Amino acid sequence: MRRILFALVLLVPVAGCEVGENFGPSAVKKEWPTVNLPAVLRQSNWRGPQGQGSCVHASMISLFRWQYRLRTADHWRQTYGDGEQPEDLAAKFNQEGIRYAYVTNGDVRFLEWACRTRRGCGITVMGGAHMVALVHLDDKWAAILDNNNVEKFIWVPRETLIAEWKASYGWAVTPIYTPAAPLPQ
Amino acid sequence: MNKLLLSVLCLLAVFAAAVPCFADTVNGVLAEERIVNLPQDQGKWYVSVVGNATDSRYNEIVGWFDTNASLKKLKNQVHFCPVTSDTAIYQARYASNVKVLPTVRMQKADGTVVYEAAGKNIPMTAAGLNGALAGAANTAQGIRPVLPWRKDMERRCPGPCPNPQPQPQPDPAPQPIDDNGPPNVEPEPQTDLPPWGVAVICLAGVLIGIASGYGRQLYGKLHPTVK
Repeated sequence: MRRILFALVLLVPVAGCEVGENFGPSAVKKEWPTVNLPAVLRQSNWRGPQGQGSCVHASMISLFRWQYRLRTADHWRQTYGDGEQPEDLAAKFNQEGIRYAYVTNGDVRFLEWACRTRRGCGITVMGGAHMVALVHLDDKWAAILDNNNVEKFIWVPRETLIAEWKASYGWAVTPIYTPAAPLPQ
Repeated sequence: MNKLLLSVLCLLAVFAAAVPCFADTVNGVLAEERIVNLPQDQGKWYVSVVGNATDSRYNEIVGWFDTNASLKKLKNQVHFCPVTSDTAIYQARYASNVKVLPTVRMQKADGTVVYEAAGKNIPMTAAGLNGALAGAANTAQGIRPVLPWRKDMERRCPGPCPNPQPQPQPDPAPQPIDDNGPPNVEPEPQTDLPPWGVAVICLAGVLIGIASGYGRQLYGKLHPTVK
């Protein structure tokens, strides 16, 4: 009996070693949305010299700031404005030496890549009349930041967002630099 | 004539089949006529150096990532984020979780902090910081570091210290586009004893041992034990 008790006493601390350890992915809280743009970095839409909205530029400026291109963002705000077309924006990016990627064919893989790498991207909505920043895309949900109201993120079902984007010429564009580091875990 | 037409049609059919294959790449995206390979760098780690733009210590540490070969290599393997305290991004994402400036922080892609040192706890030299980062990265990845004496090392003497001057803060230079995952940080080679040095120490040890043995015998003869 004493031997059994002694063995049990020995086993208790050994078993205790397995309790309370919490390593692995479940211990990490993911940031929501993935591109968790702070309020101070969000660029509101403005009217350009021709009186048009500058939603494309506003989206790009927010993404520049998220990707540590603060000087570029300031320069872009002071230099460009008004409505924009994919080819014209690409020409401006080329002229300014900006590293970027874009699609105009509604390829969802581009959106998945942009959010997977935490860069985000600008996407067309409202039949191509407006651009917003896509800041999250997972299996179920998408989040956008509308430069006409930068106070809050707008969450929509993934399929709804994709349907809207594809019905709006499927243009998506993003700069390719270092995204902001995740919040420490 | 019919054969000629048939061959032309066959050629056209081959081209028609080939074009969509080029356009629909696995990791590429069709942008007009160009195919852009997008970086699949979601597994990259982050190294943030946070500090005051006018602080010489902060500028020195940021400078190490350009002047020290190992840190420069590391910089190209991670998302390198130099952040100054006068920026909005500092206020929004660092001010609440950074206690002292400057701070050096290494994080996994999911945000897990692998290494963090601040203020006086940051190693004094670039090699020291590299060693600390290497140790932390290896521990986090469960890698046992290769002992320095087992590596084919070159002898190195400390060179003149870099003296970076404070400069206005432009956007950081773009990093190379690649698909790197966790960094492979190697500790700096350290100077240690050459093989002949080890032999000399061993020989000296043997001689001391023999001499002490004889000494003990001589002492025993001169001072016989009283029983």
